[in-house]
Amino acid sequence: MKTRTWILILAAAALISGAACLFLLFGKSSGQTAQVIRDGEILCEIDLSAVGEPYTFTVTGKDGGVNVIEVEPGRIRVSDADCPDRICVHQGWLSTQSVPVVCVPHRLMIRLVSGTGPDAYTG
Amino acid sequence: MTKRLTKDALLLAVALILYAVEAQIPPLVPVPGVKLGLANIVTVWAMFRVGAKDTLAILALRVILGSIWAGQIISFTLSLAGALVCYLVMLLLKRILTMKQIWICSAVAAVAHNIGQTAAAIPLFRTASVAVYLPFLVLSGLLTGLFTGLCAQLLIRYLPQGKTERE
Amino acid sequence: MTKRETQRDRRSRAAVRNLICAVMLLLSFCCSFCGCTAKKEQEETFFAMDTYMSLRAQTDDGELLGQIRDGIVQLEHEISVTEKTSAVWKLNHEGEAQMSPAALELLETALETCGDTDGALDITVYPVLRAWGFTTDTYRVPDAEEIGALLGSVGWNVVRIEGDKVTVPEGTMIDLGSVAKGYAADLAAERLKQAGVENAILDLGGSIVTLGSRPDGNPWRVAVRAPEGDGLLGVLSSRDEAVVTSGGYERYFEDDEGNIWWHILDPGTGYPAHSGLVSVTVVGPQGVRCDALSTALFVMGEEKACAYWRAERDFGMILVTEDGRLLVTQDLEGRFEKDPSCAFELEVIAP
Repeated sequence: MKTRTWILILAAAALISGAACLFLLFGKSSGQTAQVIRDGEILCEIDLSAVGEPYTFTVTGKDGGVNVIEVEPGRIRVSDADCPDRICVHQGWLSTQSVPVVCVPHRLMIRLVSGTGPDAYTG
Repeated sequence: MTKRLTKDALLLAVALILYAVEAQIPPLVPVPGVKLGLANIVTVWAMFRVGAKDTLAILALRVILGSIWAGQIISFTLSLAGALVCYLVMLLLKRILTMKQIWICSAVAAVAHNIGQTAAAIPLFRTASVAVYLPFLVLSGLLTGLFTGLCAQLLIRYLPQGKTERE
Repeated sequence: MTKRETQRDRRSRAAVRNLICAVMLLLSFCCSFCGCTAKKEQEETFFAMDTYMSLRAQTDDGELLGQIRDGIVQLEHEISVTEKTSAVWKLNHEGEAQMSPAALELLETALETCGDTDGALDITVYPVLRAWGFTTDTYRVPDAEEIGALLGSVGWNVVRIEGDKVTVPEGTMIDLGSVAKGYAADLAAERLKQAGVENAILDLGGSIVTLGSRPDGNPWRVAVRAPEGDGLLGVLSSRDEAVVTSGGYERYFEDDEGNIWWHILDPGTGYPAHSGLVSVTVVGPQGVRCDALSTALFVMGEEKACAYWRAERDFGMILVTEDGRLLVTQDLEGRFEKDPSCAFELEVIAP
């Protein structure tokens, strides 16, 4: 194949993934409930809209890795971690984004889901 | 045989050094999985200049040794998955690309690496939510792959053929 | 040289054209994908059948929920016991009426459950209910003689259906109120399914029907209220089913001597059912059956209700007894999460 064809293919891939990135970055998550997940297990669910005083707590992984999680009204973040790259800390606050915060070395994830409060009441 | 072993070992050493150097650079964007992938230069070089089997050995050993050095089991699994996909794609591309199109191979292979990595992350995290990072990883794979590919391209252009080619 | 050039040009131009097509295709694919996920959540809240109703569905059709609301209101006009133009009014006062297919189906299903439950549910208890004032909110305690006289005309097996014509003997009156909400919810769910809606939750005054899951893929969460206070018994994870609760606490009055009388009557005695249960939640595939059973099981009491469940097994139930126990059938155990505020001991009813 010609170089020109390849350039077009790569450009198309860049365009599409770039559009998807923008869509993800600016798309809002409907949820206000943060799930803290480690090894696929939901450790806790926090209704961010119901947070009063800011607080922090620590999640310790199975291999001893530590992430400090900070919760404020309407937002949540990893404020400190002992993973090598500390990308989870750099990812900053999670408030309305549809992209979750992930700490790969500790297999930890914080994501927003729509409220886990009841959808309907009977009785 | 000894010559081949020496050359592969040398390339592996270079790859590991690049890997170690890169680990010292703080993450540019806070997206897990996004990295420059300097060691990719060696992989591409080996693929086009040395041979497929040698490349596999260098790549596998680099991933294993690099992960031992970093001490991360999880990133080892992800890197290995990424490297495997990346290698297969390179093998395919090598047949249809010329020596002047090495940078294309690198870009596509980097994207493949990131896709493989994301796919492996899904069972590890036991949730498909990690797949939302895919567009970011494809885009970054393109950019970093282009960069490392151009590096490899320049190396191949300016390093005399006779001094690096296996006899 | 020039010839080769033009050939190359032509070929590369063709390649560019092909690629542009490919990109357009990919982009349009992306757009359609976005379109899929962008289904809007519609909500319709209204007052019908003496209660608040709320319909929530993921659909792009802005008219759909309004149409369903109109359908429910229409059904209400037909089966209302207080509207003088309704078919049920005509039946109750003239002993004979024509009914629409929907109302007939509702009536037939109700009568079936009346039979199944040995009259623990009886749609002909209406005259007694009216004497207690529960239909008009003018509560009073009728004397035993009055109740005895009214009980004479109670008996679900006197209702006759021939074609679209329904007849009852003089003095017998029917009231489909105990099953109407569940049936209306079934109709609404059916209509939504036909329109291709995959995620919806319908709350018809506490008779809940869930369709599919929540938009985020998790099951719908249906909370069951505690009989006393504002708390919850717990939350049930639910997909594609109906959840209906009957409890004495929903409508009751206190007489001058401090006795509490509630709206669920025992068709056998004509007095509010005192079976030892204070709340019955029934979970099953059909709203109308759940609605009917929740009333019937409340009248039956714990022992008979459990026996009925063991015999039928096509539904699940959550019971609260007067002596403060929370009973959950085994099939619901895994997806019923007791609320932290609920002080009751949870017991599992084994098959």
